[in-house]
Amino acid sequence: MSSQSMPQDAIRISNLVKQYGPVMAVENLSLVVPRGRMFGFLGPNGSGKSTTIGCLTGLLDANSGEIEILGQPFTAGSAALKRRMGVMPETLGLFDPLYAHEFLAFVARMFGLDEETTRKRVNELLAALELTDAKKTLGEYSTGMRKRAAFAAAVIHSPEVLFLDEPFESIDPAGVALLKQWLRRFTEQGRTVFITSHVLETVERLCEEVAIITRPGKLVWQGDITVLANDGAIRYDGQEFRALEPLFLHLTGERYADLNWL
Amino acid sequence: MNLEMVGNLVRLRYKLLWAKTRTRNGKIALFVAGYLLLVLVLILMGAGGVGAGVAAVRSGKGQSVAELVLSGLFLQALISTVMLGFGLGAVFSETELRRYPLTARERWLARHCIGILDPFWFILLVLYLGLLFGMYLVGNVSLGLGLVGLVVLFLANYLAARAIALVMERAVKGKTGSLVLMSLVILLGFLPGTLAPVLQKNHALADTLLGILRFTPPFGAAATIAGDGAAAWSGLAVELCWTVGLLGVLAALEKRPPSRARAAATGSIAWGGRYDRIGGIFGPQLAPLVAFWLRFYVRNNRFRTLYLITLPVCAFLTYNLGKAEGHRLHGQNALFVAALGAFPLASFLGTSRIAVNQFGYAGGALRRMLLLPTDPAASLRAGSYAGVLLESTLLLLATVAWVVLAPVRGDIRMLFMLVASGSTGLFLFHGAALWVTLYGPRRGKYDASFGNDMSLMANILVVGGALTCIFVPQVLSGVVPASVNPDYWWASIPVAAAAWAFYRVSLRITASLFEGRRERLMAVVEGRA
Repeated sequence: MSSQSMPQDAIRISNLVKQYGPVMAVENLSLVVPRGRMFGFLGPNGSGKSTTIGCLTGLLDANSGEIEILGQPFTAGSAALKRRMGVMPETLGLFDPLYAHEFLAFVARMFGLDEETTRKRVNELLAALELTDAKKTLGEYSTGMRKRAAFAAAVIHSPEVLFLDEPFESIDPAGVALLKQWLRRFTEQGRTVFITSHVLETVERLCEEVAIITRPGKLVWQGDITVLANDGAIRYDGQEFRALEPLFLHLTGERYADLNWL
Repeated sequence: MNLEMVGNLVRLRYKLLWAKTRTRNGKIALFVAGYLLLVLVLILMGAGGVGAGVAAVRSGKGQSVAELVLSGLFLQALISTVMLGFGLGAVFSETELRRYPLTARERWLARHCIGILDPFWFILLVLYLGLLFGMYLVGNVSLGLGLVGLVVLFLANYLAARAIALVMERAVKGKTGSLVLMSLVILLGFLPGTLAPVLQKNHALADTLLGILRFTPPFGAAATIAGDGAAAWSGLAVELCWTVGLLGVLAALEKRPPSRARAAATGSIAWGGRYDRIGGIFGPQLAPLVAFWLRFYVRNNRFRTLYLITLPVCAFLTYNLGKAEGHRLHGQNALFVAALGAFPLASFLGTSRIAVNQFGYAGGALRRMLLLPTDPAASLRAGSYAGVLLESTLLLLATVAWVVLAPVRGDIRMLFMLVASGSTGLFLFHGAALWVTLYGPRRGKYDASFGNDMSLMANILVVGGALTCIFVPQVLSGVVPASVNPDYWWASIPVAAAAWAFYRVSLRITASLFEGRRERLMAVVEGRA
């Protein structure tokens, strides 16, 4: 498909509802993520971010609502669409008994890469992410190395849409800088990155657009935040916000509890 | 010593157990376990412990019967814990306990208090006490001293099980550990059968052996209960010596840092290994998944150990059951009848723990399988194929072993029936394991070498399957002799075909149910349910 005939939106969610028994996790969420954007998906703990990503990647079944990825309806069985998506799940999804090269080769082959390309990309990713210790299985890796391995698995097949759940936590600054550089190049090529993170400074510096949800999975704000990088301000509710954190706290109603004994 | 904190941790262990009963599966498990426990206690108190005690006194050989019963229980407890993993579950590891403000000694006490208060050990204590009450009811035994003797025996039993399990756990993590373990199983398996005829002929040797056994904890406890005066006190002294010794051994073992479990290090990146080539048999879609599952099985310590000891265990069962049944069947076919049960046992024992809980040891990696651009149930099927493939190799080896070693190897009909029986077990078990994987999952530790971490449903399938393999051929040989008669060899074909059909149908149905169960599976294996 040529880029001209490609849909404008990478992700389109309409009235998504997800319940766990009587508990509402995502309530009537509608969201549009344009193609080629670095998109931040924010919310307090338990607001339904991971549940939404679960529905978007086929891990969970929505109770109702529609999901479109790259202009096509998406369900858990959409194998062809899944081939165009890369996911770094919350749990990382690593097979601990495998070596990093075995794991990446497994993922690459499952995503349809031929043997030669698989070997080339695995070697390049392992070298770039400094995962070359062939004597350690993934279970023996440090937390940061595990995160790098999970990131490598998410990008090895050059997906068009990349879902990253808390991608930068536990990775050292040099590693984070490298991943950011890759992600920027990724979006420059017209691909889309969908990130969740609690580190608002990182999101502010990296993302172009942000959606903020609050419990239970309700969208409270979505907009362009590039203005913040140029020392500008976001106007909302009659107030000016010069950083993402005060806006986030204002929107989600999160407050610091004052414990006088602490 | 902060005993309050230790007590809090013990209470927390039971709170966690109770919390599990809030789920539907937990309620079922509680009901079944409670019912079984009650029935077991009633039966064993009535017919086992108390009955044995009454019989011991009435036979006039109180001490001998007590020695026999206590030794049997002691050994059974060791086998159940070390081989089957009952009663060794680590609720809190040393690392977990380090989070709390406890000294090293308090952490040690907390771990073992929690360990010894496991329901498994409670049942054993009831059995021990049953014997004492039985003897007390009809005989002239000292209840107080007997009670002390049995409690010390109980402690020694727990400490021995822990120490042996720890030694074996360390052994199987080493390169040659599994082989050493296999040799030990072979030795211990064949020792009673080999030793019994020798002892029957040589009374002096039997007396010497009995003299040595008097210095073991069960014999010491028997002397404490049934012996008089000095004999009772010396029995207690023997027990105390053992308990203190075992305590020292366990403390020393726990002080030594364990060697890190590690899969065979490659040193360099190796492409196109044998697992990938084997996986290739299943076509390009499933090849990487089957190769993954083969690695998943083969790199698991417990699988490797069980896989290696399966054939020796089956050979031991065939030999001993065949010998025991030899008299009833006048020697004819007795070995063959026993082998009819051993072959299906060989077809599932090695892979059993993972096969009945395929995703339980994958943890968060289950998500990865669901994110793959393939039919969501492909990983379920691939895992099952890998298990069947691994067990098929054992079936092949068992067949070769029968041809080479069995005295009745000339009969091709017997060989056919054995292979059919093995295939029946293979397909029935792996078919049922698919259902248990979906409906009886449990979060387990991939690296754990000991402890029974299977769900109730999985335990019923594995333990029930093993018992079925051992006893059904024996029962059939008595009730329907034609079913084990090589003249009717052809009858095994429809049975094996039905098992194969069951496996195929199970694969198809569970694959269609998998998508609907995946959220529940994720919650269980990630520890959220």
